Amino acid sequence: MNTRNQLLCAWCGVAFAILFTLGFWPLSHFMPPPSPNASALDVATMYREHTNQIRLGLLVMMGASGCILPFAAVISAQMKRMEDGPSVLSYLQLASGALGVVFFIMPCLLWSIAAFRPERDAELIQLMNDAGWMVFLMPFTTFMVQNIAIGLAVLGDRSTQPVFPRWVAYLNFWVAVLFLPGGLLTFFKTGPFAWNGLFAFWVPFVVFFTWYVVMFALLRKGIIAQAQPAGAR
Amino acid sequence: MGVPQVAASRGGRIPGEAGVWFFILGDMVMFGLFFTVFVYYRAADVELFAAAQHSLNQTYGALNTLLLLTSSWFVVHAVESARGDHAPRARALLACAFLCGLGFLVVKYFEYGEKIRAGLTITSNDFFMYYYMLTGIHLLHVTLGMGVLAYLWQRLRGGTQLGAHMSALESGASFWHMVDILWIVLFALVYLMR
Amino acid sequence: MAALLFHRATAVWLLLVGATGLSWGFGHGMGFGDDFRYGTVAVVIIAFIKLRLVFLEFMELRHAPAGLRWAFEGWTVVVCASVVFLYWSGT
Repeated sequence: MNTRNQLLCAWCGVAFAILFTLGFWPLSHFMPPPSPNASALDVATMYREHTNQIRLGLLVMMGASGCILPFAAVISAQMKRMEDGPSVLSYLQLASGALGVVFFIMPCLLWSIAAFRPERDAELIQLMNDAGWMVFLMPFTTFMVQNIAIGLAVLGDRSTQPVFPRWVAYLNFWVAVLFLPGGLLTFFKTGPFAWNGLFAFWVPFVVFFTWYVVMFALLRKGIIAQAQPAGAR
Repeated sequence: MGVPQVAASRGGRIPGEAGVWFFILGDMVMFGLFFTVFVYYRAADVELFAAAQHSLNQTYGALNTLLLLTSSWFVVHAVESARGDHAPRARALLACAFLCGLGFLVVKYFEYGEKIRAGLTITSNDFFMYYYMLTGIHLLHVTLGMGVLAYLWQRLRGGTQLGAHMSALESGASFWHMVDILWIVLFALVYLMR
Repeated sequence: MAALLFHRATAVWLLLVGATGLSWGFGHGMGFGDDFRYGTVAVVIIAFIKLRLVFLEFMELRHAPAGLRWAFEGWTVVVCASVVFLYWSGT
């Protein structure tokens, strides 16, 4: 049943959530996100004044992002129990979950490049800052696919003791929908749809971490239930 | 020979699958947020919003409202027909609802076309940002809803033993009614609010 | 056919269409003379009444467990109040 390994992977999700927030918030000064409307000079000043703090914070964020992988893996492991035959949805979740890690690591690298030579021209620093934020918040596709795959698997679970309760499917569909507005940050420098706005940042941020917490609780329950001998359920 | 209706434990029954209400409420909370944010930003720049609103085609808006209200009427009857085991009639009514949805899309096509030809796009000003975002995301929901209706139409093809389909039918119907509800508010706030 | 027309759902539909017409009127200056603000508030309130009709009748929440129904009623009150308040504070 591999219970210990699965639980380890599930706890990685918690580790990711805590460590990433630590790097993002107190360390990197990215909370609240700098405005896309800020001048190049303002952006450069931020990188110049907090250089090492930002570099460290980004390092922590990047390391934390690695923990997304085991979490995605254990979700697929549990999803396989829901699917009959070739577990295509589990593969889909694994693929999209793994790909999603890129959109956490890449921004850290891009922002690190911005912080690497703070004496650079302000416009260049702004360019790398823009790149980081857009790579971080704009890609909604892989996350939507991941959530929809989970939702479909939960709905298709025909076992007598379903792995997850059915409302989890609808939670995942809802989360998928909430990631959508992020893609539109490409049009806006101010307002609720800009990368520091209500719908492009705050809502996905809250929803994403809430999803982690909920999924973790469910996974733990599912993994432990799986470990019970069949008669004891 | 009606279809047995599952009663909830105490006082009341939940139409369709319990979980879908989670999604419906979640979606409504998101739109509630959208609506509130829209009015908030509008209050900060009333002149711009009021002026920009003049470019909207109110007739199209009203037409879309009527189309969705009528489609909901069709869906209500479709569910009732299915409860009475009248599969062909239920399917016909679902198809009518689908056509209303199609009508909505056609009107939107003309409406957006008109705006874009006049040079009014999502980045024209704040009002139009909200206009396109709100109506656009709603449009996505309409399309999704039409997909759900088509799926339900397909599922009732067997013609008998509709009991197994009632849960899906009621869930899908509830989703469609939600799409209707969202437009009712949207129409009032975006088109009619002076 | 008669069963379809002489039906509660049809009565609700007629009410909804009528309410839409009323909103249209209020939104276009009818009934409140020079002060369009009251007209708009009426439009918003009517919209949420229409919404209530849909979720109670079409979505059958009238017969649903209290918790579910009150979630919708609560949403209606909160959003309607927020919208009216924000609108009024901007005028």
